[in-house]
Amino acid sequence: MSTIFPKWTNALPTVLLGGVLSTLAVGVGGAWYYATPKYWRSGYMPAQPHLDELAEVRTVKVAGSNVPDIPGHTFPGFSHQIHAGKLGMDCRYCHSHVEESAEANIPSVSTCIGCHAEGHVNDELYAKKNRVQFVRDAWEAGVRYDVIDALKRGGKIDEAEAKAKEFADAGLAVVKGGASVPWRRVHKVPDYVRNFPHHAHVAAGVSCYSCHGNIMEMPVVYQAESLSMAWCLECHANPEPHLVPPSKVTDLYWVRDQLKANGNAAVTNTTDPLGALTPGGKGLLEELSKKPMHLLPQNCGACHY
Amino acid sequence: MPSEAERDKPRSWDDFAAWCGVHFTARQGDASGSVAFVVDARRSPTRDRLLSDVIRKKFPKALWVAYDPTAGSESAEGARLAFGKPMRDVLDVSKADVIVSFDRDFLLDDAGFVSNTRGFASKRAPKSAADPMNRLYVVESTFSTTGAKADHRIKAAPTVVGAYVAALAAKLGEAAGLSAEVVMGAQRLVSSSGVQIDDAFVSAMAEDLLRDEAKRSRKGATLVLVGPSQPAAIHALGHAINAALGNIGSTVRLRPMSAEEAGGGLAGLKRVADALNAGTIDTLVCVNVNPAYDAPGDLGFAGAMLKAAHRISAALDHTETVEQSTWQLPLAHSLESWGDLESIEGAISPVQPMIAPLYGAKSDLEVLAHIAGLSGAGADGYELVRATWKARSGFAKGDFERSWRRALNDGVFTAPEKGAQPTIQPEGVAGALRTLKITQPSAEALDVVFVAGAVGDGSFCNNAWLQELPDPMTKIVWDNVALVSPATAKEFGIEQDKDTAEVRHARLIDVSVGGQTVRAAAWAAIGIPDNTIVMTYGYGRSHVGRVGAGCGHNVYPISGLNAGNRRAASGAKIARVGSGETRYPISCTQSHGSMEGRAIVRETDLPAWRKYGDDPFAGMTEEARKRAQTDSYRQQRDLNYAERLGELAHTPANANAYINPQRGTKTEAIAGSTAEHGSAAYRTDGKERPVDFAREQQWGMTIDMSSCTGCSACVIACQSENNIPVVGKIEVNKHREMHWIRIDRYYAGDNLSGGITDASVSFQPVVCVHCENAPCETVCPVNATVHGPEGINYMVYNRCIGTRYCANNCPYKVRRFNFFDYGVKKFNGDYIGQEAMDAVGLDPKNKNLIPPRLRERVDEVTKLGMNPNVTIRSRGVMEKCSYCIQRINEARIEVKLKKLDRIPDGFFQTACQQTCPADAISFGDITDTKTTYPLAGGGTRTGSQVLSLRESQRSYMLLGYLNTRPRTTHLIVMRNPNPALASAERKASWEHPFDHGHGGDHSPGEGHGAKPGSHAGTDAGHETNFIDRTKSTTDAGYRLSLGVLPTALGV
Repeated sequence: MSTIFPKWTNALPTVLLGGVLSTLAVGVGGAWYYATPKYWRSGYMPAQPHLDELAEVRTVKVAGSNVPDIPGHTFPGFSHQIHAGKLGMDCRYCHSHVEESAEANIPSVSTCIGCHAEGHVNDELYAKKNRVQFVRDAWEAGVRYDVIDALKRGGKIDEAEAKAKEFADAGLAVVKGGASVPWRRVHKVPDYVRNFPHHAHVAAGVSCYSCHGNIMEMPVVYQAESLSMAWCLECHANPEPHLVPPSKVTDLYWVRDQLKANGNAAVTNTTDPLGALTPGGKGLLEELSKKPMHLLPQNCGACHY
Repeated sequence: MPSEAERDKPRSWDDFAAWCGVHFTARQGDASGSVAFVVDARRSPTRDRLLSDVIRKKFPKALWVAYDPTAGSESAEGARLAFGKPMRDVLDVSKADVIVSFDRDFLLDDAGFVSNTRGFASKRAPKSAADPMNRLYVVESTFSTTGAKADHRIKAAPTVVGAYVAALAAKLGEAAGLSAEVVMGAQRLVSSSGVQIDDAFVSAMAEDLLRDEAKRSRKGATLVLVGPSQPAAIHALGHAINAALGNIGSTVRLRPMSAEEAGGGLAGLKRVADALNAGTIDTLVCVNVNPAYDAPGDLGFAGAMLKAAHRISAALDHTETVEQSTWQLPLAHSLESWGDLESIEGAISPVQPMIAPLYGAKSDLEVLAHIAGLSGAGADGYELVRATWKARSGFAKGDFERSWRRALNDGVFTAPEKGAQPTIQPEGVAGALRTLKITQPSAEALDVVFVAGAVGDGSFCNNAWLQELPDPMTKIVWDNVALVSPATAKEFGIEQDKDTAEVRHARLIDVSVGGQTVRAAAWAAIGIPDNTIVMTYGYGRSHVGRVGAGCGHNVYPISGLNAGNRRAASGAKIARVGSGETRYPISCTQSHGSMEGRAIVRETDLPAWRKYGDDPFAGMTEEARKRAQTDSYRQQRDLNYAERLGELAHTPANANAYINPQRGTKTEAIAGSTAEHGSAAYRTDGKERPVDFAREQQWGMTIDMSSCTGCSACVIACQSENNIPVVGKIEVNKHREMHWIRIDRYYAGDNLSGGITDASVSFQPVVCVHCENAPCETVCPVNATVHGPEGINYMVYNRCIGTRYCANNCPYKVRRFNFFDYGVKKFNGDYIGQEAMDAVGLDPKNKNLIPPRLRERVDEVTKLGMNPNVTIRSRGVMEKCSYCIQRINEARIEVKLKKLDRIPDGFFQTACQQTCPADAISFGDITDTKTTYPLAGGGTRTGSQVLSLRESQRSYMLLGYLNTRPRTTHLIVMRNPNPALASAERKASWEHPFDHGHGGDHSPGEGHGAKPGSHAGTDAGHETNFIDRTKSTTDAGYRLSLGVLPTALGV
């Protein structure tokens, strides 16, 4: 009787099992490796301001009166698309310290109230929809503080105390300079990376666009780039495609157009921050290398200490 | 004591104000003196105004005592005897060429120690052979940092020190301008005391005070100091000597002090205690003082204060006095409050808050204002200070607001006045000398002297940074000990364990004076006179926070008995503790005091420096010079003065086996040569910068050990700047302390156990030296420590996996390892490793566990204490000095924004450099040959500060023969001995400083290291001389190593 199964078929189950397992392993491993973002927070997009916390710092007890008319948590309480895009506001109007400080600051509520006080821009729309009520509420807390403070300074201590009690009974917050709006931080480097110096980068001609992406078209800001170390080093090794004249750093549409026109390479060079650049951004590194202070640091000690 | 529930009931400031309104209004105009105030001894115009304008008017009979537990009235009384009125002295040490200190630690334990140190250091670090240098004689009963800097030091019991002052006065005599009756009194004192005075020492000192070597008068350029342990008559005699030498108005200036202050707080405190015991006081107010802890034992203050029905205590943190009070008020820190203070020179400065009070506390002014019945704006610190200065005539010139803002900006309200100097009244001095008697201490009646430690008078007992700061001399942390001489320790059988013991223990002793007894841990130490106990106050607090609990022993009960001297006592008895706990564990960061014959700290005497300082090969023949400057590979090397003192002069040159990454070439400057040190060789090649350095600026540091007094301020500055954790006593015992800077202390001398001039001490601050050829870098498996283009040896914390191989391979032992989450999770109470610590069964001292209800709050406050620009390291990570890289990076950005090409010299300072009172640390770009500085004598000098010091003849590389090429170099210690007192051996070493002994050879039995004539200075053939003939016959290990050498060197 001839054998139906030749002898090699004895090894078949083992081979098949091994094959299936290794295919599976490669599949899972590959998906894991390639589908994982370079940095976990990439794409992080929290609602602004923080709604739970906003509810906590509500200054009026009447339910619903101050919460933006939000279906769920998706409504953009604050929209960069409107402010930076549609209205064309300069980044530095709100993030005013970016040229002098390592931190690009979040504005205080007084900056918001400059436009959003009652009777200012688009008042009717806001009144209808309560959209900026949270800004006004936060501001009112400061106004109430000023009222009490003025009474105290005028020597009317009793009146001031009565006023404070009145506010407390009504559940109204009293905060010097206005309550803070619970904005959430989107871009954050890990603790073992020391302060990212915004001022140094802005002065060197790194556009906001390079790191924060298409801000002027984001209703809710998300983290566009990975902010990983490899990503930082990529630019530090070859900065030419990312530098713009300092006057154009916050001109985001202009930067984007230039990038499109130049195929995401060499943005421009008309008035280079460091002087004497050849058209097309070529020769920048050579120029930099002549000025020791201006070499882009790629050593550990520049960020980790 | 109030009931616990009543006492623990939380109360608000409003409650206190309301209570004050009722309570103190009832006592207004009180004639019986039922209110007493005990306040700290600061001098504040606003507090004085509150006292005279409000409190005195409201409570005319109230007792008011400004109390400092560490100060007696001896110094003020001495000035009263000498000048007719109590005065305080202000020193200008920079003007003094010869300084004589009698038991006064003016470089550390002194009100003006920062300016004293700066002045002293200004004449202590000669740059060239011709530069001037001061000379310091010290006669002292402790071994202080001042004694360590002395050129001549004599140890003497505190009572005997007075005899030395008298002997000096007698020797100076009428010829020097002392009055006849004072000289006679001094002579009588010396002869009646029976003290064996070292006559040669006193004669040489007297001669030195009068004339310099060239027989020119030293009038007004000397300084004689008498310390707090001495009685008033000796202080008066010191003033008389200074007056005779013309120093008053020149090196020492006297300022009047108020009668209240001069009376000393102690007499006042005794009045308060007596009144309390008599029951006349019903309200006791204590502001920022702790008499329940630090009053002398015979006052029994802790018990007496309970007799007052109402006890109000305002304090910065929990104290013994607060514990016994009915009102416990949180006092605002001076960084949280408004105020004004007078400095010892007499400048009055505003105190300005940096932050609003963290815990809703109020300042001392505000508390006193509440008690005085002021309210609203009248009780606000800011308004109180403004009101003082508004009313002050002569302050506001024109607009008050303008003057006020100017004062806040400058930090000075009024500059010190240069008042007229008093004239000496010899009859007062002579009269005091007549009544003084000197009794020498014996084993039955010992002398005790009290000194300040890191925690001051005890108010910093709960400060972990200061608790873990090693004592400059003993290097003991977290404790105080009773120092005795080795002979005394042997006599009483109270010697501590040998330093080989795993946990070193001291013997507990009981010290009794005048019926009061304190317990202490005995510690035998070099440099302490026999039959004398040196005790440190400020420890042994019973009610203190969690940090200070159980640290050391309280010595206050035996200080200032009978309202006497708080800094010295006599007639003490020692008894070994016989039962119960007889030993006490001690943690010490450095127990060994010898360099074992290696040239680690190098020292030289001024005469040798004068001869060879500008040219270390001076006087050699051309042939000999050539040989001396040739290494064993027959290559040229230009060793400087300091390197000639050390191993490099005697070791074969290093042959490079690899290409230096910093230079890209094998042919590099030889380690130890001038070219290596800076850029002397590079300057001549006509290039802007040395071509083979990287393009960036190259950072380097120099540490001048000649000006360093070992005060350890840099250690705390570094800890504060770089978020360095404290680890606690138990961990220090395992040598796990985390300080990035350590200050090594080495003893030198001929006879470490006896004689009156037994030992001298050298300090050496050691930090990461940022080797160019760093041994740590080559062994790190994960590249966590790497070299940067600016020559900094980086430590990348997030890469470190904690193998600790780098620490093992570091010859300087400057790397520190986080064995636990010292910095991060300290307050959670559940850090990993707690079980391990519990398991070894040590008491819970220093665990810093905070009760759960406070953790969150404490964690928040701890964050405020951290520098946000420096990573907080976690468990398992190595760390070390980073050259304050956060400051470098910040400076670089700032300079870039200003469009400058490089960071200018002096643009920023490292934390240690910024803090050093002696200016001993320099930091900067060692390739900067461009910066120009004006010279004192006209003309200019080029090169950065650090470069000029690095190129100095005094600069050497620590362990330079290992070819590590340190970026931090040390400058040798200079001493300026009096030739009249120097031994023949020492004098011979001045002729040939580079012979055996190498200047820094501090092993016992060799001393300042000269063996004259072993070979002449002109015969320096290095090919053979690196073999140490003496060692080769005595040291087996050395003999063994010699066996290998001939093959390697072909000799």
